[in-house]
Amino acid sequence: METATREVYWNISHHWVMYVLLVPTMAVALYGVWRHVQRWRAGKPVVRFDRPVMRLKRLIRFGLLQISLWRDPLTGLLHAMLFWGFITLTAATTVVMIHEDLNIPLMQGRFYLYFQSLFVDVLGLLAIVGTLLAGLQRWVLRPRRLVFSGEASCLLLLVFTILVTGYLLEGWRIAVTDDPWGHWSPVGRVVADVSAAFVSDAGLRTAHVVVWWFHLVLVFGFIAWAPYTKMRHVLTAPLNIFTADLDSRAGTLKPLDFETAASFGVNSLEQFTWKELLDLDACTECGRCTDACPAASAGKSLSPRDIILDLQHQLHEADVSVLSAASKAASDPDSGPALPIIDTRPALSPESLWQCTTCAACVEACPVSIEQFPKILDMRRYLVMEEASLPPMLAEAVTSLEQRGHPFRGAQASRTDWTDGLDIPHFRDVEDPEVLLWVGCGGALVDRNQSSTRALARLLQKAGVRFGILGRDETCTGDPARRIGHEFLFDAMARSNVERLESAGVRTVVTSCPHCFHTFRNEYPQFGAHLEVFHYTTYLARLIGEGRLVIDPAVTESITLHDPCYLGRHNGITQAPRDLVGRVTGRPLKEMRQHGAQSFCCGGGGGMSFLEEEADTRVNIERARQVVETGADTVAVACPFCTTMLEDGLGAVSEERSVAVKDIAELLWDSVSSDSSDGDASTDHIDSSDD
Amino acid sequence: MKILVCLKQIPDPEVAPRDFRLDENNLIADPASAGLVTNIFCENALETALQLKEAAGGEITVLTFGPAEAEDVLRKALAVRADHAVHVINPGLLHPGSSGAACVLSAAIRKLGSFDLLMFGREAGDWGEGQTAGLVAEHLGLPFVAFVDSLQTTESGLHIVGQTDSGREELTAAGPVVVSITNSDANVPRIPKTRDIMMAHRRDITTWSLEDIDLTEDLVREAAGSVEVTELFIPEKDTTCEFITGDSADERIDAFARRIVDVIGSI
Ligand code: SF4
Ligand code: SF4
Repeated sequence: METATREVYWNISHHWVMYVLLVPTMAVALYGVWRHVQRWRAGKPVVRFDRPVMRLKRLIRFGLLQISLWRDPLTGLLHAMLFWGFITLTAATTVVMIHEDLNIPLMQGRFYLYFQSLFVDVLGLLAIVGTLLAGLQRWVLRPRRLVFSGEASCLLLLVFTILVTGYLLEGWRIAVTDDPWGHWSPVGRVVADVSAAFVSDAGLRTAHVVVWWFHLVLVFGFIAWAPYTKMRHVLTAPLNIFTADLDSRAGTLKPLDFETAASFGVNSLEQFTWKELLDLDACTECGRCTDACPAASAGKSLSPRDIILDLQHQLHEADVSVLSAASKAASDPDSGPALPIIDTRPALSPESLWQCTTCAACVEACPVSIEQFPKILDMRRYLVMEEASLPPMLAEAVTSLEQRGHPFRGAQASRTDWTDGLDIPHFRDVEDPEVLLWVGCGGALVDRNQSSTRALARLLQKAGVRFGILGRDETCTGDPARRIGHEFLFDAMARSNVERLESAGVRTVVTSCPHCFHTFRNEYPQFGAHLEVFHYTTYLARLIGEGRLVIDPAVTESITLHDPCYLGRHNGITQAPRDLVGRVTGRPLKEMRQHGAQSFCCGGGGGMSFLEEEADTRVNIERARQVVETGADTVAVACPFCTTMLEDGLGAVSEERSVAVKDIAELLWDSVSSDSSDGDASTDHIDSSDD
Repeated sequence: MKILVCLKQIPDPEVAPRDFRLDENNLIADPASAGLVTNIFCENALETALQLKEAAGGEITVLTFGPAEAEDVLRKALAVRADHAVHVINPGLLHPGSSGAACVLSAAIRKLGSFDLLMFGREAGDWGEGQTAGLVAEHLGLPFVAFVDSLQTTESGLHIVGQTDSGREELTAAGPVVVSITNSDANVPRIPKTRDIMMAHRRDITTWSLEDIDLTEDLVREAAGSVEVTELFIPEKDTTCEFITGDSADERIDAFARRIVDVIGSI
């Protein structure tokens, strides 16, 4: 029997013209790519090609399997269809080239039948379905997150036409050559049968020639144009995923060397690293970041997608030679921003930059590992440190941090008010201490949170933990300063705290606040700290696990849980709080629409709790609605900032239904004290409705 | 224009009430109980001066009389771009008061030369006397305007707007003048740029002892002598909360009004 194969150019003469056309096509495409590379090279240096194996693993997870795309099933499906179709067709074309141009006969036998015919045929069809779904999404469903540009529509039509003409060519070849293996290409076979029923062989031959060249021009056009469009992400996305930051979680901000830094923060393209510039070109315009952004969802002007795209436009409009020159002069602090960015386009307005809660939902949502909010932070740093320009209420918080070591202007409480009647020793007076309880400003100075802190301390006492506090010697970790953008102040506070803990002999810290936890755990090591750090939820879970603390289910109310951004998303701790709530109720909790790593911010992070928000675009009200939606009686929280933000938000939507806000420590203590003879039963919870 | 701004370092008025303590022996605030900050009205004065300088040019000298730690208020002023800083060291006088301070500041100002405008905060957040500016004007034989909240240079001189008990007053000063500044929306103190903070630490500060300005401790004590601190205590603040009850709104309003009359009557 004859070996299965086909003749490559059976109906096409002068196919050498194709090679002639390929030259300008590749020239245009490569020029486009080269221009991008040149622009990225203007960025500051950073090492991102080390540890190739780890990077490759990331690339497989996010680049090949595209796990983050599947959160939206329709998008996951259509992108997978397009992606695998694209890969398969590219592979098939490569096979043709090897077979024909290198004269290595690959296209034959089983490989030809199974892969080159059947598999390619089916995947091509899936790709067409993918484009149809994409069309459905773009032109019918029209989700807000997409960018509705002519370019995107053109690209979609172009890909669709290329795929369809491919099938026509295949079908007509099968029909005219009466291909004995034609049924291995089922779609081609159908096209062949339908066409043959209406058109003569000669007609099909002529049509084939015309459509073949048309198809070729479209494909070459696509190749040449792609680097100049968002399709560049075919190259930049995998590169961006490969070169992502392996060392720190997105929320871990980088320190600045104040002696050598030419600019404190970023207000010019060349002040970004090359990786940050690459970020801009990796964007697929999918809009997931803005969709996930709490500020955008609440109706504010902030849009992480548009920040990336506006920066990308700035980058593309920048003259490459100016950019390179600026990057050479960048070490000179007097040179000023050569290619300014802040306030040059709508998305880059200071107003928007001051709306970011640093919740990192954008980073978490981005399928191609772009880091949106660290760029926002870079620009905030510039505004704060180079221009001393920040909203007055944030300036007050900064001044208060500097003068009083806490961000709450006008706070009346002292650091130890909450200890009244509890007999909590100073850390230095504890014999053989196990842990330092780091109370944090939110837990000590805000009235509402004092009962949470008391509950936590009592739980530790009950478990017999040898712990102490720093009392009046505690100052803020500096987290608000860092997230506002005042790295200089943070730097000073971090150094003095690290030194203080070191000299006090502290090894293990339990924090009541996820922000303190994050700062201690991920950021103080930048300043030489070697501490074992727990958020209280993991620490209490451990005490329970060790049998030191016994919690019986005693709480009957139905509970939902709000994951604090700096616990869940930033630090991956989502299970411990659930376990604890499960302990007190003995039942699974009622999850909110957005929870765990996809949780929705309370609106208080990044210094935003110190700002007055516009009444109609408050993030905490959005979240409060999600709380109410669950039908739960109580929302459990594990962060003093979340507590006050949510209580405030729930107060504003209370006509819908009233829901109590309780810190997990309060819930646990309620549970412990209600089923024991401790006497001192109440957590002296201050009910907001009493105000 | 040559501007002088006098600054005073005080214990942080925003310290948590429970943290604040007195040094009963010395009749002063316990220095360990509250951080030290620049008096807010002095910061308002400095902010006004900076805005004047930005609008009309000139030079700003900041001057303080205080212990070694008071250098901090000068560094902060340099960080927002004051041009010169002068520190007269307080050798340990516990209660110089407005009179003692005015005596020291006037002597230092004489040594510094002439200024077109001398600015003070309207009062200090620690003792709250509000006398120093006026006393300095008296010492130097200059006109004095109190409670000023806006200043502008005009053709005919300095246009001054101040607050009075009955409203606002507008004045024009042709020659050197002493003003005390009160807070307004326009003079909220700025925060410094980081580079300026770093530079401020490297800048020179002129440091004088009392002798350098031809004074002695005794002379200052003598000048301060008209006021003596005999007793110092933290006033008891007693807040009680009372709910007015009643069956109807009318009844409650009625009870409420009666209660207010009671309270007013008892004062
Ligand atoms: S960090 Fe959060 S608030 Fe900031 S841009 Fe990203 S999603 Fe929006
Ligand atoms: S930054 Fe990422 S998530 Fe946002 S639009 Fe671009 S690719 Fe999508």
